[in-house]
Amino acid sequence: MNRVIERHLNILEFTLASLLRRKGRNFSLLAMYLLVIFMLASLLFFVTALKREAAIILSDAPDMIVQQLVAGRQDLVPVAYAGEIARIRGVTAVTPRLWGYYYDAFNGANYTIIADDAAEPDRVSIGSGVARVRNLAVGDLLPLISYDKVPVMLEIGTVFPSASDLIAADLITVSPVGFHHLFNFPAGQATDLAVTVRNPKELSTIASKIASQFPGSRPVLKSEILRTYQSVFNWRGGMTLLLLTSALLSFIIFAWDKATGLSAEERKEIGILKSIGWETSDVLLLKFWEGAVISLTAFLLGTVLAYGHVFFLSAPLFAQALKGWSVIYPRFQLLPVVDVSQLTILFFLTVVPYTTATILPCWRAATIDPDAAMRY
Amino acid sequence: MIELSGITKSFNSGRSNQFTAVDNVSLVVKQQQVTVFKGPSGSGKTSLLTMIGCMARPTSGRIFLRGVAAAIPFQGDGVEAVEITSLPERFLNEIRRSTFGFIFQQFNLVKGITVLENVMLPAYPTGEGRALFRARALGLLEQFGLSRHAAQKVELLSGGESQRVAIARSLINNPSIIIADEPTAHLDSKLSHEFMAIVGRLRGEGKSVLIASHDPIVFDSPLVDALVEMRDGAVLDSRGER
Amino acid sequence: MILHPASLALLLIALLVSAMGGYAGYYGMRILSRWDPQSGSEGQLELERRTYLISTIMNYILVLELMSLFLFVYTADDLHTLFTGAMCAAGTLAVNSFGYPALLLKIVNFLLAGVWLIVNYVDNRGYDYPLIRVKYELLNLVVPLLILESFLLFAYFAGVKPDVITSCCGSLFSQQSGGFSGDLASLPHLPMQIAFFSGMALTLSSGLVFYLKGRAGYLFSLVSTVTFLLAVASLVSFICLYIYELPSHHCPFCLLQKEYSYIGYFLYATLFSGAVAGIGTGVLMPFRDVGSLARIIPTVQRHLAAVTLLCYTLFTLITVWKMIFSALKLTTAF
Repeated sequence: MNRVIERHLNILEFTLASLLRRKGRNFSLLAMYLLVIFMLASLLFFVTALKREAAIILSDAPDMIVQQLVAGRQDLVPVAYAGEIARIRGVTAVTPRLWGYYYDAFNGANYTIIADDAAEPDRVSIGSGVARVRNLAVGDLLPLISYDKVPVMLEIGTVFPSASDLIAADLITVSPVGFHHLFNFPAGQATDLAVTVRNPKELSTIASKIASQFPGSRPVLKSEILRTYQSVFNWRGGMTLLLLTSALLSFIIFAWDKATGLSAEERKEIGILKSIGWETSDVLLLKFWEGAVISLTAFLLGTVLAYGHVFFLSAPLFAQALKGWSVIYPRFQLLPVVDVSQLTILFFLTVVPYTTATILPCWRAATIDPDAAMRY
Repeated sequence: MIELSGITKSFNSGRSNQFTAVDNVSLVVKQQQVTVFKGPSGSGKTSLLTMIGCMARPTSGRIFLRGVAAAIPFQGDGVEAVEITSLPERFLNEIRRSTFGFIFQQFNLVKGITVLENVMLPAYPTGEGRALFRARALGLLEQFGLSRHAAQKVELLSGGESQRVAIARSLINNPSIIIADEPTAHLDSKLSHEFMAIVGRLRGEGKSVLIASHDPIVFDSPLVDALVEMRDGAVLDSRGER
Repeated sequence: MILHPASLALLLIALLVSAMGGYAGYYGMRILSRWDPQSGSEGQLELERRTYLISTIMNYILVLELMSLFLFVYTADDLHTLFTGAMCAAGTLAVNSFGYPALLLKIVNFLLAGVWLIVNYVDNRGYDYPLIRVKYELLNLVVPLLILESFLLFAYFAGVKPDVITSCCGSLFSQQSGGFSGDLASLPHLPMQIAFFSGMALTLSSGLVFYLKGRAGYLFSLVSTVTFLLAVASLVSFICLYIYELPSHHCPFCLLQKEYSYIGYFLYATLFSGAVAGIGTGVLMPFRDVGSLARIIPTVQRHLAAVTLLCYTLFTLITVWKMIFSALKLTTAF
């Protein structure tokens, strides 16, 4: 066992020395490799992060919401529906929800305003994003302008901690009375209804009951939203990946070319190694370590750079192509999520094709005749 | 003892450019002697040495190593001789690594790495601990007066120094047989005589030395025990025990 | 068709594995028909060099098969949200009829590639290529399976359409369903536990006999193979229940999730390694007396038996540990 390890260590040591001796050649290979891994990693991280964001946003959503459609457009739901829906067997609770968007002319930001039954009138809770852009703290007054162009001063009760930034950054919760006042919202109506069901398996049955009982109503299941998000992101990610395949392919051809086109110098060197007692499998091992060192370096650097690109810089290279999705906030920092599976996929998409492309050239190099060094 | 029987080596067989480098050679090379293979270039002496040294396999014929310690584990207990012609590459290689040391006409040092690393190179794939063979390599450099060059790149060495590095390298795995192919082709007379002195020392240590050469300094040397004359792939004359 | 990055990665791997396997198979056939170790001709030397390439390729294939096996299960799990009713990988794989065959074939191919490499390792120790024919005939068996696996994988992903209603874990493994996995689940716990532990006990004792005395190699190999199947059935039947601490979640895939501290990877790794070594021991049995291998094979077999013993013992220990410390207690009435 020891001998096996020693052999690997000795050959690895020689590999490292060899790589450093041929800096120019290996550097160009590494640069190409790095670029491909960086692009693919950015893409994967970005798509996965967006999927995760969507899942987080939706995790607090009710199992089912009921909307009202008028002429195919979303409209307000009569609160009276809530009582009737609650009588359907299997429904445990129906909550009318009041929420909307407020455009702040001061700084061009959009806030999400939600009515919270527990909130005191004239007191609000705001997200940390709101606090930041308006430079506010607990106890300050938040000036808003109602639909009748009347200024409303609301005292800030709490600021949501930044841990919940993703969901709450642009959030303002007000009392229902305040909500009606602010938006001049008609009484007896709600934005939509949140429906809770005892047994999740009955969701679709209940949804179809609601749809038939209330003409114009549209029940939307949480799982449907989630699935749509996932599909869209998978599809977008996959399409972009296909586009990147050409880059990947050209890299593979490049790698193949590099591996096949052994320089005369290198050919001679392998000849020498074989003539002084290295065996084919020793040279294969040398070549394996060479590939492994280059791959690992490119992989580590590429993923680290991609991590920075996506999670610190918010993926400027992909955002336009992939986000384009109004539900996601226009300016937000993605929550860093990287898991083993993404790295595995990335490994499969980059290192494995590279390695495969180099097997044959490496084998050719390794089978140079040992007596070649003696025949000149 | 190395015994060759009916060794033939041909290249590009079955094609129009087929040629036979070694043609039906039968020969016995004794151990702990200096044997010189003499002949013009293209006479097949290098090809013959590559086959004896387990670098290449003959197209036909057999080579036996008798009483060569390193080769014995490959056969069952109690077997003295190993027939190396039909062994797979990895076994040939194992024998070659432990039994033969090679010195080449062009020295064949690897550029860009140090003298010490060059000397250690044949030991890398053996799986021996680095510290062990490093100590041995330093000892060899000392022995050949190269200690102060140990950390130098090989490109900076003179011809004679390169030759001595190559000799040190051939000895790193402690082989019992040294094979040298035209070792003095790139050396002046003084250095060639020095080389032969080293050969004498190696023989004194009990090693067999096989040299292919057409340099009179080599084949007329009093150190030579046996002389094999070759031409056109065949043995013209073989004299032993001078 | 699903354009999920993981499915693209899996398809790419399948393509590469098939291509490499096909290449290896082609040269394997040439080796079978033209091999002549007595000859030192250039053609023979060329073939001998090819054997290095084929070994290298098979090493890669083994690693790729193992990694893609886990990635496949992971992907299936990740995709379950796309299908109404699919709660985890079990549901996703049942979306069409190619999912489970692809998975099974992946496992079989992994085991075969492992056995091939064992034979190859032994053959490389012999100085006269003693098993060259066996090796390349075995390769001819493996290669079509590798290609078939890629075909199934393509068929599976091509046939997957989001929103197809599929059975979830609960219903897939419910007692009513007549499918293969359903049968496993409906195996009652107590007989299954008895079978599992007696299988393990038999493997361990025959393995110990073989390790110490070098006898009953075939028996050991057979018992370890059967125990492998029993262990897989037991995973579905009762082991997973103790791990999930749920009386009815018979899913062999959720074990691989973070919620169960990735215990599945460890369980499967020990089980698969043990099985490869156990099967390999049996495959080597007929060649114990082949001249140049007479001293090599017994040593290798002892090592293999030791691997199986170690792996299966670990597997059993984890199982027992989970059974004892699980919050779930199964009664025979279940």
